Amino acid sequence: MTQMLSRASKLFVGTSGYSYGEWIDSGFYPSGTHSSNMLDFYTQIFHATELNYTWYQMPKAPAIERMCTKVPKDFKFAAKLTRTMTHEVKKGQWAKEVMLYRQGIEPLIQHQKLLCILIQLPPYFKRSITFRNYLAALLDELAGLPIAVEFRHDSWANDKVFSELERRKVTLVSVDEPDLPNLFPRLDVVTNPDLFYVRFHGRNSRGWRSGNMQKQFDYDYAQWELAQWAATIKTAMMTQAATGGIFFNNHVRGQAPKNALRLIDLLFKDYHLQKT
Amino acid sequence: MSRSIIHLNIADFAVAVESNIQPSLKGYPLVIAPLGAPRAVVYDMSDEAYKEGIRKGMTLARAKRINKKIKILPPSFNRYELVMKDLLKETFAFTPLIESGTSDGHIFLDVTGSGRLFGPSVDVAFKLKKAFKKTFNFDPIWSVATNKLVAKVATRVVKPVGEYIVAPGDEKAFLAPLPLNLIPGLIKKELTRFFEFNLFFISQARVLTLEQLKIPFHFRAPLLYDWIRGIDPTPVTTSCNCKNLSIIRSDHEFSDDTNNADLLKRALYLMVESICKTLRNRKLTGGATKIILSYSDGLQSTSKLKLVPSTSNDMAMFKKCVPLLNKAWTRRVRIRHMRLICEKICQGAIQADLFSVGNKETKQAELILAMDKIHDKFGKNSIKAGLTMRVKND
Repeated sequence: MTQMLSRASKLFVGTSGYSYGEWIDSGFYPSGTHSSNMLDFYTQIFHATELNYTWYQMPKAPAIERMCTKVPKDFKFAAKLTRTMTHEVKKGQWAKEVMLYRQGIEPLIQHQKLLCILIQLPPYFKRSITFRNYLAALLDELAGLPIAVEFRHDSWANDKVFSELERRKVTLVSVDEPDLPNLFPRLDVVTNPDLFYVRFHGRNSRGWRSGNMQKQFDYDYAQWELAQWAATIKTAMMTQAATGGIFFNNHVRGQAPKNALRLIDLLFKDYHLQKT
Repeated sequence: MSRSIIHLNIADFAVAVESNIQPSLKGYPLVIAPLGAPRAVVYDMSDEAYKEGIRKGMTLARAKRINKKIKILPPSFNRYELVMKDLLKETFAFTPLIESGTSDGHIFLDVTGSGRLFGPSVDVAFKLKKAFKKTFNFDPIWSVATNKLVAKVATRVVKPVGEYIVAPGDEKAFLAPLPLNLIPGLIKKELTRFFEFNLFFISQARVLTLEQLKIPFHFRAPLLYDWIRGIDPTPVTTSCNCKNLSIIRSDHEFSDDTNNADLLKRALYLMVESICKTLRNRKLTGGATKIILSYSDGLQSTSKLKLVPSTSNDMAMFKKCVPLLNKAWTRRVRIRHMRLICEKICQGAIQADLFSVGNKETKQAELILAMDKIHDKFGKNSIKAGLTMRVKND
C-alpha cells in the first residue's frame, strides 16, 4: 500500500509475488479467481509487488510492457535480478546478461513503475575478494538504476560494506529471517537516502534449509514481532529515506498478505496516534 | 484457477544420451542413424549438425554429402527408453500427472494440485532442471504455462537452451508474433494451406473467423481456431507404460538393422521364451500380446493379438506371435528393434485336469517344464530351443 506516512517517507508495502493458488484457499483471493485476474485483485489492495519470476527467467520487454498496462498509475514493481547474475554467474557472460536485463525491464522505467532492482545474493556469496570484485563490477554495470542488495551471509554485515553502499547510493536490504548461524542479521541500517527496503522471510528455523520453499517460508508473524518492526521502520528507517519498500515473502498459506495488511494497520495506527 | 503445466524438453534427446556416454562427442556434428542400411535416414542430430543443414528424416547419404567427416552412431532405442524412465522417476516426486513420449525427451507435468506441497510451479520446474543436470547431466529447456500447447511452443521458442514462463492470461499475446510452424499438432498440409493464403504468423491467422477457417480446414477448423488463440484444454494424461505393472515385456535390439525373416523369428522366440518363463515363475498366464517394431528411420509399427486361451507356454505363444509379427511388419525398411509385450495377465489354472490327455499341448507343456528344471539347475544356456541357436551370431 502506498501511503504518505510522513513528509519524508513514502511507503510501498506488498508481497514477494502475487500469483499463488493457495491464496485462494486462504481467503485472500475470492474463490474461483483465475490466475490471470490475480494481479487485478492484488492491485486493489497493495500498491507494490516483487517480481519473482525475473529471477528464474530473463525479463522480456513485451511481457513487462503488458504487465505495466495492467496496473494502476501509482503501482510499483521491485524486479529481482536474474539468477545468471547472482547465483549462476558465468565468467565473461554476465555483462551481456546485464545488458539483456536492462533491455527487458526498460518498460518499467518508461512507465515509471520501477521501485528498484533487487539483487538477492546466495548464501555462499561470502565477503571474499572474488565476490567483492564481482559485486563492485555488477553494481557498476547496473549504474543509473535504483538498486537494493540483499545479502544472505553475515560476512557482509560490516561497516565498510555499508559505507561503500552509501557512497554508491545503493540500498542495503534489511532482512527478517531466522536466527541461524551465518545468516545476515536483522539490521535497520539505511544506506540510501532515496530508498530503504525490508524483506520479511519468516523465522522458520526448522524449514529454512529444507530446500522446500513451502517449509522455508512457512511462518506467521506474531503481532509483537510486527509491532517491533513498525516501530523500527518509523523511527530508524523512514526518517532517513524518502521512500520505503516493505515486502513479505512468507507466502505459504497466504500468510504474506495477511502479515502485510497487519503491518500497514500498525504503521497507520501509529501515524493516526501521532496526528491526534 | 488456471492450470500450471511444466514442459521439460531435452533437445536432441538421442544425441544427448549418446554424448553423455561418450563426452568426447560433445561440440561436434553428430548424427544418429543406422549404419549398414543402404536407405537409412537420420533419426536425430546434434545442434552442430543441424546448423550445417542436416535434418531429421534426411537420407544418411545426403547428410554425409553435407559433411563427409560427420560422426555417425546407430540408434539405441532401448537405451533412450531406459534413460527416459529414469527421468520420469525423478519427476514423479512432484506430481503423478506426467505425460511423456517413450524416448523423445519431452515431459509434461501438471503441478496445479501440488503447489501446497512443493511451492510455485516455476520453482518446481527449476528444481527439476537442476536435478536433471546433477543426476543425468542433461540441460533441459523448461517452460511453465497454463496448458500443454503454450508450454510446448514456449520451449520451441527458446530451443536449444533456456526457459520461458508464460504468465496466466498472457497466452494470446505471447503467441501473436510467432510463426505458425511453432504450433504443435499442425500438419504439413495445414501449414501449406495457411502459407497459400499468405498467412505466416499466428496473429495473421487469427484474423480468420471460425466460419472462414472451416472452408479450407473443415472439421479441423475448431481445433485450429483454439490453438492459434492459445487454448488447449487437453489434460496431462499419464502414460501407461511407465507405471503399469500388469504387463511383461521383452526387447531385442539387432546389432545390424535387418529385414531377414529368420532372424526376426529367432529374436521373437527368445522374447517369447523370456516372457513365458516370467509368467510361469509367477504362476500366471498372458491374455494378449503386442509387437512393436522400430525401423531404422525411427518409425514404428504395432500389432496386437488376444490369446485365447491365455497361456504361458512358449510354443503356443510363439505360434500365435508369428502371424502377429507378419501383421506388424508392413514396411521394407530394415528393423532396428523389436519389442514384445504380454498384457491381460491373469492367474493360471490352479486345478489340474482329472484325466490327463496325452495330446500335443500336454507334451509341449511337459517338455517346457523339463527345460525349466534343467535351466534352474544348470543355467540358462544349458539347453536351448533349436530355433534360437544361431541368434548369437546375428
